[in-house]
Amino acid sequence: MIADAGKERVLSGSRKGTQPSDGPPVPDRDPARAAPPPGGLLTRRSAIRAGLAGLLGAPFATSLGASTRPLAPGLRWSGRQGAQPDDEILLGVSAAFSGPSRGLGTELYRGAMSCFGQINEQGGVNGRRIVLKLYDDGYQPDPCVENTLRLMLEDEVFLLFGYVGTPTVTRVLPLLKKFQDQQMYIFFPFTGAQPQREPPYGEFAFNLRASYGQETAGLVDNFVRIGRRRIAVFYQADAYGRSGWAGVRAALARHGETIAGEATYRRGTQFTSVMRPQVEILQEASPDAVICVGAYAACAAFARDAMDLGLHVPIANLSFVGSENLLALLMDASSDDPAYYTPWLVNSQVVPSYEDTSIQSVPEYRNLMDRYDPQVPEELVVEPYDPFPYSFTSLEGYLDAKLLTEILSRIDGTPERGKLNDAVFSVRNYDLGIGERVSFGPERRQGLQSVYYTVVEDGGFVTLSDWEAKFGLDATTNDGAP
Amino acid sequence: MTQPDQQAIRIKKLFRKTRFGIFVLFGAIVFATSTLSIRTVSSQLQEEYESNSANIAKNIADSSVDILLNRNLATLQSLIDQFVEIQSIRYIYITSDTGEILTHTFVPGVPEVIREGDPHATEPIERSLPGMGDFVEVGSPILAGQAGTVHVGMDLDLVRLKIQRATGQQIALICIILIVGVLGSIWFVKLAVTPLEELLSYVVGLARRDADSLNDAKVLARDDEIGEMARLMLHAVKGEVSGAASNPGSGTD
Repeated sequence: MIADAGKERVLSGSRKGTQPSDGPPVPDRDPARAAPPPGGLLTRRSAIRAGLAGLLGAPFATSLGASTRPLAPGLRWSGRQGAQPDDEILLGVSAAFSGPSRGLGTELYRGAMSCFGQINEQGGVNGRRIVLKLYDDGYQPDPCVENTLRLMLEDEVFLLFGYVGTPTVTRVLPLLKKFQDQQMYIFFPFTGAQPQREPPYGEFAFNLRASYGQETAGLVDNFVRIGRRRIAVFYQADAYGRSGWAGVRAALARHGETIAGEATYRRGTQFTSVMRPQVEILQEASPDAVICVGAYAACAAFARDAMDLGLHVPIANLSFVGSENLLALLMDASSDDPAYYTPWLVNSQVVPSYEDTSIQSVPEYRNLMDRYDPQVPEELVVEPYDPFPYSFTSLEGYLDAKLLTEILSRIDGTPERGKLNDAVFSVRNYDLGIGERVSFGPERRQGLQSVYYTVVEDGGFVTLSDWEAKFGLDATTNDGAP
Repeated sequence: MTQPDQQAIRIKKLFRKTRFGIFVLFGAIVFATSTLSIRTVSSQLQEEYESNSANIAKNIADSSVDILLNRNLATLQSLIDQFVEIQSIRYIYITSDTGEILTHTFVPGVPEVIREGDPHATEPIERSLPGMGDFVEVGSPILAGQAGTVHVGMDLDLVRLKIQRATGQQIALICIILIVGVLGSIWFVKLAVTPLEELLSYVVGLARRDADSLNDAKVLARDDEIGEMARLMLHAVKGEVSGAASNPGSGTD
């Protein structure tokens, strides 16, 4: 249902499995409303934010959908070829806003909306406001497929954006191929898996972040360089985990090594789960390091149990893990010494540190996050979640939105999907403000190549500059800490 | 003879063996049918599940060729994850032509039995995996084995449970038929016994020269064999009585 609320266009809907698809108009709902923040200033902050949003012309244009409503049978394309209304561009989002990985969808959304909020406030892209149509898939493939069909066929979005996860995205890619005559693309999914980077589906996706192959190769190369050649893998038993596993395997093969040991867990595992079996399996392999390819709840549970059971080796996590979420769980798990579970952590990142304000885009991002503090619409909030002021994930969301805005601005005249390829491929040596220039082309569908490595110090992530000093075989102290 | 006296006369011995025979016969039928049914259903279901698993393995093998050749293991994992959601399929793994396990669905890890097994086996193998249960594993070669082998593990415990359910339902049905058959047989025997009991009561009355029995219209009015026997006995008794009356000196010589 569409309701006009002043300058804001709002489609009322509901979150997955809880509310009917069509509800009454909610003209006074502020999509930028505050979730319960630490400190209990909810009411005042919400009021301030609502007032601010009103004053700014409600920059957060978000609409919600109900993902449990069955798809109408026989849905077909409208034939509009993605033609958009005169005053907006509708982007379709299916991401994890519920479940153990909800932090990823939430933070990515927050970062993107901080950018879109500013763009909309400044009048949009060529006079068109950017509106996001949101669905929650809980990081599960089947709901993601249904959401995507709904976004394409019912909502007729211009493009897909802000998707989270490999198992979800890999199931959506065949849909894009099936409807390839409609030229629907997915932009900057939050996954470094290979399927959207290579045939037969690569032509339907544009990626910004480095791949898992690049992340795992970097980790393996650094571990091998400091003498840690026996590398084990702890991974999620699905396409994401397999993608990371394959990356580690390939990287080790280049050094003449094989995976020393491997253990898996099921997607959706909570932090409260016991990972003793997985730790024991890996302990039998006597690894020099473990690379985790998972989500933050399970990886934090593994790091906790590994420390408790005496597996004192570097535990590396990929960027997808959601570093701040992982760290928060581990610090909460040891109230006496918040750093107890963290000395062996090393996380790879695909964006620079949000603490490094010398990087041009970082202060921009921080200012916009401070200014707008975007929140996931209440209708999508199933479980409480306290967002972080800044995070690697939200910084990535911000950069995704910034680059997409640039691409949309390069479309001549009325936005049509047929013009998207040319607009993307016109991006050459574009300065995204992070010290690495971005280029796209028919054979180059990934914008960034850099991988950064971080470790925990003083309750936060800092850049790892000296692997030998931190994780070298001689660097281990008697108490097992590096 | 009074009515209570007639009710007291029951034919208990004549059909006792018949009833016992019917029960034994039905019991034997139930036992034989159940045994045959269990064996048939069990083997057919087992074959069906194995066949389904083999078909799934073949489907995966057929659709894996390009993916494997492109070394796209994430897509391959996504593919097998969809199949493992099918009921009774508990695990799937794909080995390369060199025997390396390229992708699998095991949690928390690949069991030692699997690691040490034949990576190219395609014939059904029964496996007992510690902590997981018993399985029947079938394999299907990918590109005639040149690209690897797909292995699909079917949960034997679940299959056994389904077989038990199926055979249990059949046995329950047969038992119901047994009970209905026995009760029906008893009822039919009772149908046959009732006129015999009436005849017996009538004959006893005749023997006692009971006037009521002599004129028992109910049994005499029957148009079946019981009625004919009753009338014949009445005729015989009346002949004997009239003979005795017309020749009173006989027998006194």
